[in-house]
Amino acid sequence: MPSLAELQDGFAAAVRRPEPDPPRGITGRGDAGAGRRFGVYRNNHLAGLAGALEMTFPVVRKLVGEEFFRAAAMDYVRRHPPRSPVLLLYGERFGDLLDELPAAGRYPYLGDVARLEWSRIFALNARDTAPAEIRLLSGIPEPELPGTRLILHPSVRTLASRWPVLAVWQDCQPGGGRAKIDMERPERLLVVRPDTEVVTHRLDGGSYAFIRSLARGAALGEAAEHAMAEEPGLDLSAQLVLLFNYGTVAGIAPAAVNKIPPDQKGTPS
Amino acid sequence: MSKRTSVVSGTMLAGAVALAVSSALAPLPASAGSKEKCFGIALAGKNGCGVGGGTTCAGTSTVDYQGNAWKVVPKGECVKYGVEEDNPEFELPGDRVGSLTALDRDLPES
Repeated sequence: MPSLAELQDGFAAAVRRPEPDPPRGITGRGDAGAGRRFGVYRNNHLAGLAGALEMTFPVVRKLVGEEFFRAAAMDYVRRHPPRSPVLLLYGERFGDLLDELPAAGRYPYLGDVARLEWSRIFALNARDTAPAEIRLLSGIPEPELPGTRLILHPSVRTLASRWPVLAVWQDCQPGGGRAKIDMERPERLLVVRPDTEVVTHRLDGGSYAFIRSLARGAALGEAAEHAMAEEPGLDLSAQLVLLFNYGTVAGIAPAAVNKIPPDQKGTPS
Repeated sequence: MSKRTSVVSGTMLAGAVALAVSSALAPLPASAGSKEKCFGIALAGKNGCGVGGGTTCAGTSTVDYQGNAWKVVPKGECVKYGVEEDNPEFELPGDRVGSLTALDRDLPES
């Protein structure tokens, strides 16, 4: 006779297995055998999680249709069962699965559309923080500026796609018409939720490189260099305005603030 | 000192910051808001994320219509919850109504 914990573990593991046998110790009453009864749990598990994915990826669902979506979603549930009881962020790698599907060859942008949808859900559920204003930077002494690290807003996500995924996404929104979309146009995107609404911005190469560098933890000087390498002749002040206007920055990393006036190599008088 | 010559100097950055600050003097009103937070209407596990002591984080409410958990709704619609119940979207069980501030009803037992 298994203990209750063993019974529960076995039950949970069997719910995730595709084969029909119920776990040991589970019996059914009446005509319907334990196998058929257990199948109800297995099906509810699968359908519930596939339903969660459907709520997170409405645009992908709209693009591929109900049947294709359910099949892909169930495939995902089997391969990547949730690791958290909170399903709001379930489906982070759904885009990867869509990339690999043979049928996705005709819709190579599906994976990126899924990544955009997930990024928006991520931003929606990220911690609330008021964005910083740009005057935060004016208090920093000039020699400290290049080494200053910014803390990006917790909702920030970036996405570079070979496809115009935001255009596709917009066209699939309620009221979105059948826009003529040039599918050869790549897009670089920033997703952020400075206040209560998630916003997706298109970025040019310089801005994208700038924000990506900052997100990877580069200091202001290094990030500016990356941006200028990407786009020579870049207007640095315009980049800063954009960065702060979009609500991308939450603050300055403390290390940079703390070492404000070490008397470096004596100022020549 | 590092041998690496930086193309972006402190002076350059300071200039860019000064210019940016002066051109950004009128900050955008933080997306003047077509949405609002509404307390007491979210189903368990479907709330948004707050911050600070005693508040909840995304998906962590454990009780339906938990009073200190919120969800974002279009501006002006929060007060319709539990009031304009002809519209099934605004229906709440019992005499509950949506609130723009946290409520002390439907709190999980601690």
